[in-house]
Amino acid sequence: MRRSWWTATGLVARREWNERIGARSYRITTVVLVAAVVLAVGIPALLSGSSKPHKVGVVGGAQGIATVRAAGAVIKQKVDPVPYASLAGAQRQLRAGHLSGVYVVGRRVLIKQAPASGTSSPALANAIAQLGAGGAHAAAIAQPLPVHGLERAAKPLPTRLTGMAVAILIYILVLTYGQRITSGVVEEKSSRVVEILLSSIRPAQLLIGKVLGIGATALVQVAALVAAFFIVASATGSNVLHGAAAGVVVIGALWMVLGYAMYCTMFAAAGSMVSRESDANNITFPVVIPLLVAYVLSFNVIFSASGPGFYKVLAYIPLTAPIASTVEYAIGGIGVLGVAISLVVSAALTAVLARVAAKIYENSILRTGARISLREALREV
Amino acid sequence: MLELDDLHRRFGDVAALDGMTFAVPPRTMFGFLGPNGAGKTTAMRAVLGVTSLDSGSIRFAGAPVDDRARRRFGYMPEERGLYPSMRVLDQLQYFGRLHDMDASAARRAGEDLCRRLGLSERLDAKVEELSLGNQQRVQLAAALVHDPELLVLDEPFSGLDPVGVDDLSQALAERAAEGATVVFSSHQLDLVEHLCEQVAIVDHGRLVATGSVSELAHGGVIRLAVRVAGDADGRWADALPAGARRRSVAADGTVVVELDDERDSDAVLDAARAAGRVEQFGAARRRLSEVFREAVRRDSPPAAVEELHAR
Repeated sequence: MRRSWWTATGLVARREWNERIGARSYRITTVVLVAAVVLAVGIPALLSGSSKPHKVGVVGGAQGIATVRAAGAVIKQKVDPVPYASLAGAQRQLRAGHLSGVYVVGRRVLIKQAPASGTSSPALANAIAQLGAGGAHAAAIAQPLPVHGLERAAKPLPTRLTGMAVAILIYILVLTYGQRITSGVVEEKSSRVVEILLSSIRPAQLLIGKVLGIGATALVQVAALVAAFFIVASATGSNVLHGAAAGVVVIGALWMVLGYAMYCTMFAAAGSMVSRESDANNITFPVVIPLLVAYVLSFNVIFSASGPGFYKVLAYIPLTAPIASTVEYAIGGIGVLGVAISLVVSAALTAVLARVAAKIYENSILRTGARISLREALREV
Repeated sequence: MLELDDLHRRFGDVAALDGMTFAVPPRTMFGFLGPNGAGKTTAMRAVLGVTSLDSGSIRFAGAPVDDRARRRFGYMPEERGLYPSMRVLDQLQYFGRLHDMDASAARRAGEDLCRRLGLSERLDAKVEELSLGNQQRVQLAAALVHDPELLVLDEPFSGLDPVGVDDLSQALAERAAEGATVVFSSHQLDLVEHLCEQVAIVDHGRLVATGSVSELAHGGVIRLAVRVAGDADGRWADALPAGARRRSVAADGTVVVELDDERDSDAVLDAARAAGRVEQFGAARRRLSEVFREAVRRDSPPAAVEELHAR
């Protein structure tokens, strides 16, 4: 009976899938991570969205109060118009964050921060701008009033925080699943079952099947997290859906998949070089250093205005890109094009790394005893 | 027929295989012998494709062995190995499927084997929960589940208790009787002598002797075991006829005489009779252990321990 290369590879992948998908630890981590997303997205939305009405300053005419109320009705949120005598007073309050916006009747709408390019203004400001235009000149075609930001466009905090959350998740997922691969390889090696396996399949089939099977379980978890993000965000009317945060989540999900692909074969190669579970941690540490660097520096970048200048470079270097690129996008340091370039570069390196890792794996997987040096692993045929 | 032809494999400065060549006839129990480090494990791994060769070829049933052919082989490595936390039947099914079986056939074969090996109660147990003896049974089942045409076992008897040895011997003999070719390495030479029709003895990566157990025991020279009553030192053999040599004298006075020509046996008998009453006169068969020691040029033990068999 003939069979293709993928038949046996698929069998290996399915074994990995079955072994892990049913494990209690997998179900627990999935629940915990989904719960974390639900809380992170849902709680701020519920606090800001429903319970607290938006305060909107009104300058220059009592008819503006009705317009603001009507705008609130349009977007189905509670809005509390506050008349101000002077524009300067209203602007001070807006800057201080006490107001969601200021309506200068018949002229314009002010918000604290101008929307980032490519994104729209907050829904409330848009609604006021629309209604305000119609209200002032009843017969005029409703060309909405301009919406101005008091401050220059920058990624708002919700987007930055989403970026941080995604960076943490990428780090956790690549590390968790990478170490799962390493320990799976070490288990096969230390239990010597690998010799039986390799009497019927090639090392590359065992390697690819393993990373695909474990990767599939990771993908299910990522999909659950992304779905939880969008479901909770839309159900609670969270503002993360309006800003760039949704983009950060989508880009982050792409980086999770590519980050896993980039690191998974290296974790397997590392596992093949040791014979005991206790040595596994030592050998995986050098593998994760680039990701760790990008991760540790990301906090600085998220919370300071600029962060270290070279962080943007890390966004284009494949091994640091999964985190650095996501974070730079979240703070507005690079755009979609930059992310796309970085994804392509990383995908190319992933193919190269997979080749090198497969060679190390093939050379090391049947050698037992002392830890194998990298030079030996690469040299021997 | 499994043919190993001029296999070479070096590991650094060590030539694990240095032109190893021999053939295993179909449907036989074949013993693969050699001192530690002789290249047995490397040769078996090469047959299973687990180790690559520097040069040489391996054929089975006349065709070069490729991955597809290897899926009709069963293998039990010296270092036993199974997934510790996988259930017995799942594991056997998995190995069956890796050897081209479909899921249901592999499961049935696994259940069937477990029944024959007395593991029916433990189908859903994890391997790590089993006793050592049962783990070894599962290991054997993993090698047998796809009903291999060639079964290669590296030291299958090491670490087994006498009951385990008997069970495994029986299982292997059954497979050979059903038409499989069974090749195994062992240091338990008495067991090999008892079980195998044919053996190969290797040393330093090369074949040093091969053939049927009886051919090797015969060794190309005629040997007689002769004992003359009352001659505990075998003195009568001080003067043997031409063409006969005294090889050794056992503690009980039995003399092993080597002949160039079997027609000289009458002259030897005459010489013995002349010395006294002949208590024993027969062909002396070498034990496999003796053949082995000679073949690998290790010193034979003193004659006193040498065992003799009258044919």
